[in-house]
Amino acid sequence: MTLPRLIFVTGKGGTGKSTVSAALATALATRRPTTLADLDGRQAAIRLIGVEASAAGAAWKDSHGENSTQNDHALDVVTITPHGELETFIERIVPLRAVSRRMLQSRTFGYVTAALPGLEAFLMLERMRQIAGHAALKDRFAVIDAPATGHALELLAVAKGIRKLAPTGTLNRLSSAVEEFLIDRNRFGVMLTVTPEELALREALEAAGELRDRLGIECIGAVLNCVPPALYTAAEIARLRPLEAHARLADRRHELAEFARHARRELERAEIAVAELPILYAATLAAREVEALSRRLATEMFTP
Amino acid sequence: MKRALELGDRRLLICLGPGGVGKTTLSAALALNAAIGGRAVDVMTVDPAPRLLDALGLTAGDSTIQTVALTGLGAARGARLRALKLDPKATFDLLIERHAPSVSARDAILANRIYRNLSSALAGVADYMAMEQLLELHRDTSTGLVVLDTPPAREALDFLDAPRRMLELLGSRAVTLLSAGRSVLRGGFSMLDLAARAVLTAFDRLTGLHLLGDVQAFVGSFDGMYAGFADRAAQAQALIRDERTLVVLVTTAEAERVDQAIEFIEALTKLGLKLGAVAVNRMMAPLPDEAAIGRADLPAALKRKLKRNLDDFAALERREAAALKRLRASIPAGTRLIAAPDLGREPRTLKDLAELARSLYVADS
Repeated sequence: MTLPRLIFVTGKGGTGKSTVSAALATALATRRPTTLADLDGRQAAIRLIGVEASAAGAAWKDSHGENSTQNDHALDVVTITPHGELETFIERIVPLRAVSRRMLQSRTFGYVTAALPGLEAFLMLERMRQIAGHAALKDRFAVIDAPATGHALELLAVAKGIRKLAPTGTLNRLSSAVEEFLIDRNRFGVMLTVTPEELALREALEAAGELRDRLGIECIGAVLNCVPPALYTAAEIARLRPLEAHARLADRRHELAEFARHARRELERAEIAVAELPILYAATLAAREVEALSRRLATEMFTP
Repeated sequence: MKRALELGDRRLLICLGPGGVGKTTLSAALALNAAIGGRAVDVMTVDPAPRLLDALGLTAGDSTIQTVALTGLGAARGARLRALKLDPKATFDLLIERHAPSVSARDAILANRIYRNLSSALAGVADYMAMEQLLELHRDTSTGLVVLDTPPAREALDFLDAPRRMLELLGSRAVTLLSAGRSVLRGGFSMLDLAARAVLTAFDRLTGLHLLGDVQAFVGSFDGMYAGFADRAAQAQALIRDERTLVVLVTTAEAERVDQAIEFIEALTKLGLKLGAVAVNRMMAPLPDEAAIGRADLPAALKRKLKRNLDDFAALERREAAALKRLRASIPAGTRLIAAPDLGREPRTLKDLAELARSLYVADS
């Protein structure tokens, strides 16, 4: 798998985007310095790798990571928020800090930004472009714990819309640059998360199609998450019938394992590379478990 | 047996919650269950999965209301279920048509650049339109109960707060500022307003958006309609707070979803809204007795597998219990915690939905 500088992780709600993002960033960090970022300020992935939320609370101020937090030498985390990005953008346009500050504080401005469709979303894309550019320069990777598929597709489609709205000027130039970034396979790629469930599989396949056909964006692969290690043969399952409750539990596991095989076939048929992660039968899901998943992911992704 | 979710004479049931927890499915199940019990129910879904669309007799492109056939489900007399898929753009267009003071005003809005983007791209419009559609359904006196599934929220209160935000945009002071003549500017506007006006103008020119003119035209064209919108928004707010409205927060027992659910609860409390119930979807069924493995007449190797599988699921059960404990601690007094067991598959038919609703149980402690 040739990896782009920035990997955007999305999938249906509940398929483990944050866990996979955390594991992926941890795995990449063993090869190159890596940045893990989220877009909603919830810091779910960041908390999973055991970084104090408050330390990463501030928005990224510039592409050199002024406000980013060092976890260890190889992995740092940032939070990209719509408001933070808008602030940065306005400060760039209105260089008088006193004026721009007051602007941002006045409710007046909030109303108008609400009327500029997609501006904040666009600025977040622009921030990702900067992070990827920085990563290319310094030979790093970046992983984005993105929103669920529907919102993610809307977000990625925003650059096109903005370019149409702004025929000239700063935003027009920026939007062309963002569009080029999104279709550049060296800098940007989408990783889908899927669990062995019908709806999750369907959403992933549809998203891959939309990304390719409508936006020209490459899906670098899918992580098939929460796959139960096979335990029973079909013959054994049949033998367990009389045990009722235990048989149902065995069935559940067997069906999930079977569906995971089906999902893998379907994804591969759609020419999507698949990396598999096991379901963790553990009472907690924290840094130690993410570490284990990251090792597994590294084996799946980097072993030829 | 007492039902887990007693609806009584409620007329509106709103399901809120994070994405990916089965909110749409549970809304449909609750609506179906109430209908089977003999009520005239309308359910509005936002983004149903294809199988659920099929089950409800809806098609993806169609946003008209459809009557769902309840044959073979043992429905009581008077039972009726109608289902509707939300189409934000069509709803907004309809709203404009209804409130526009003239044909030319209507056409001006529908053709406006801001409107065309606003009605599809601006976050919150889908929420606002869901609210509009809800008022429509609720107005129909032949309907006893409306069940509302809400769009997956980015922010906890996007949905409930939508009418207020829409009004803010329409009553936008920034726009008043821009269109105000010099004489007006001399009185009533603060220095900050004047600074804001200068910066907005510069911002517009520099970014090349040239949008403010359109924003002005857009908001201006709502001139004769503002009162109508404000009235609708006030009605919506009153309806959400009505005694006969029940707000149900839907979640699963996964750690991340529980975190989000707790944020929802805090936000609702801050807004002074009463939460009727918290519904935990896809709960694990109770695990079987380990002793049954020992008694079974099976080879030792297979028994070891059964034991391992049981241990594996027990670990997941402990994880679930820990998340649920955190959730319980955050639920306000008087709010009931209910749960739906994991059926192990996506509901495909009305029978599956009815089974899901019947399997709801009280999980207060």
